[in-house]
Amino acid sequence: MSPRRVAAVARRIAEGFRRDRRSLGLLLVAPLAVVALLGWVLRDQQQASVEILVVNDAGPVGDRIVAALKDASNQANDGTGIGTADSRDAAVAALRNGQADLALILPSTLLTDVAAGQSPVITVISEGTNPAAESGAFASLQGLLRTLAGSLAPPGATAPVVPTIQRETVYLSPDADQLDVLAPVFLGLFAYFFVFVLTGISFLRERVGGTLERLLATPVTRGEIVLGYSIGFSIFATLQVLILTLYVLGRVDVPAIGPIGAFTLGLGVVTAGSPILAFAVALLLAVGAVNLGIFLSTFARTELQIVQFIPIVIVPQILLGGVFWSIDRLPTVLQAIAHVLPVTYAVDALREVMLKGSDLATTAVQTDLLVLAGIAVVFVLLAAFTIKREVA
Amino acid sequence: MSAASSSVNPTRGGAAVEAIDLRKAFGPIRAVDGIDLAFEPGRIYGFLGPNGSGKTTLIRLLAGLARPTSGEARILGTRMPDRPILGKVGYMPQSEALYPDLSVGENIGFFATLQGARGEAAIDRALDLVELGERKGTPVLELSGGMRRRLSLAITLVHEPPVVFLDEPTVGVDPALRVQFWSHFRQLADAGTTILVASHVMDEADRCDELVFIRSGRVLARGTGDELRAKAATDNLETAFLQFAGLDDQGRPLASDGQAAAGTVAE
Repeated sequence: MSPRRVAAVARRIAEGFRRDRRSLGLLLVAPLAVVALLGWVLRDQQQASVEILVVNDAGPVGDRIVAALKDASNQANDGTGIGTADSRDAAVAALRNGQADLALILPSTLLTDVAAGQSPVITVISEGTNPAAESGAFASLQGLLRTLAGSLAPPGATAPVVPTIQRETVYLSPDADQLDVLAPVFLGLFAYFFVFVLTGISFLRERVGGTLERLLATPVTRGEIVLGYSIGFSIFATLQVLILTLYVLGRVDVPAIGPIGAFTLGLGVVTAGSPILAFAVALLLAVGAVNLGIFLSTFARTELQIVQFIPIVIVPQILLGGVFWSIDRLPTVLQAIAHVLPVTYAVDALREVMLKGSDLATTAVQTDLLVLAGIAVVFVLLAAFTIKREVA
Repeated sequence: MSAASSSVNPTRGGAAVEAIDLRKAFGPIRAVDGIDLAFEPGRIYGFLGPNGSGKTTLIRLLAGLARPTSGEARILGTRMPDRPILGKVGYMPQSEALYPDLSVGENIGFFATLQGARGEAAIDRALDLVELGERKGTPVLELSGGMRRRLSLAITLVHEPPVVFLDEPTVGVDPALRVQFWSHFRQLADAGTTILVASHVMDEADRCDELVFIRSGRVLARGTGDELRAKAATDNLETAFLQFAGLDDQGRPLASDGQAAAGTVAE
């Protein structure tokens, strides 16, 4: 192993990048743009107003409920509107043409059920094509209903006292949003995927352009090539992770200047653990990606075919790696697959460190790092094997 | 042109490059089919044959870029493939084999380091030789085809290797430059470098000290250009080649058994 030759290979990668502005942009600017966009979408979402139509078949008690709902929504002032409809059919028609989000049917048996000590059934109808939005609307309805438990009490009885629920969390804060949980994971994911695609293309060019042939006609060894590639791309992966970390953790409020309104730069995500450890996880994942790229480039003849690996190699990892859904909730077969994907361990390690504040003394972090290192070694061996195959 | 010692050295004692019953098969195709040759230091050898005759595979086997199915290739007495000995080998592939994003200087600097050349002086000398000294900072992307070919040659020679393989070095090179290339090859050979050139351009053949006619992975004939012409009773190497290949001057198989003509004329 000659350090001179390893350094030469790494430097060649860096020099190529310096002149290839588009790849540099893909590596450094694109992830930032995606994370910024994601932050914007998740943080500054419009407060959706929820229109609830009440169909009152219950008579005077129903009128009291409608009035109480209106009071409660005025007090909450969260954009929830309460209206009434004459019949179930009218309410459904309003749901169909988008004038209402939920219809609440108060049954004619409401009062008699309550008097008999039975729980009355209130039907809620929603449009049904957008489950996520509807569950949000449903949550605001439930919030309103909790406050008016008193108006359902039989006439003459004292209204029951409803306790207020105060939420606390072990990690983060109850106000934490989706972004707080996703941002740490994206630190590692972008480096992984961009580095994979770029190494794949870079190594493919070596083969197709004949430079690999020229390389193999020199004393350079496979180990030196693989190490040089890993170092060369790690430099850029490091830069990328650094920029992303700054953006995710930092927060700068920019005041309004002239026609441009005030805005915020950075997501201001609070990390509980060491950013350096998180950084090490992302880098370990990227080294694996370099060698996976070299290995898979053998199975491609054109750059387009490298891109075609994305749905095969990358998308399943995003779906199964625990980025959006917890792995414990996956079907058994998919769980087994998830446990061989490097992304799974990186996602877990990043969340352990950044959300829970775990450090190197934590067993979970140790396991994750060990497995990630093991997977990187496997990819390095596969990459070295790939280069050996060139000398057929 | 030296025609003094006329034949490939049969004793193999001081051979720079040797092929010993060298064979390479790709599935059912026998690209190199039992070649025995030895090449002395300080001479230029030309491999001549049509496209697909096995020239490139033979060169790749000799240079250790491919593993033979059977037989042996040796460079300076070392059995190939062998990585350390490659520091003494210059190899110019048929394809461009340059990094288009990198500058001329970065390209040659990179390969010079891998090939074991030290110092900027060697790089400047190699670039001046192919008249690219002024272009050191130019990205390869902006070079013409001929300039790229010249850079490729400079990279091949930058570490002053004693053994040089050139696979079709003058394809796409204009005639004036081609003359320069060959005069430089001659200088190197006079200084003791062994040069093996694959070509399908017959008019370059006379610049070689010795020729090896190759077809279907076999040696049809070998010797100096004059010897091969005399043997085939023609003053045209192309006709001689066709005759050794058992083809008439239209490239059609002769009625008689062409194999009879094949063999070593230099004996």
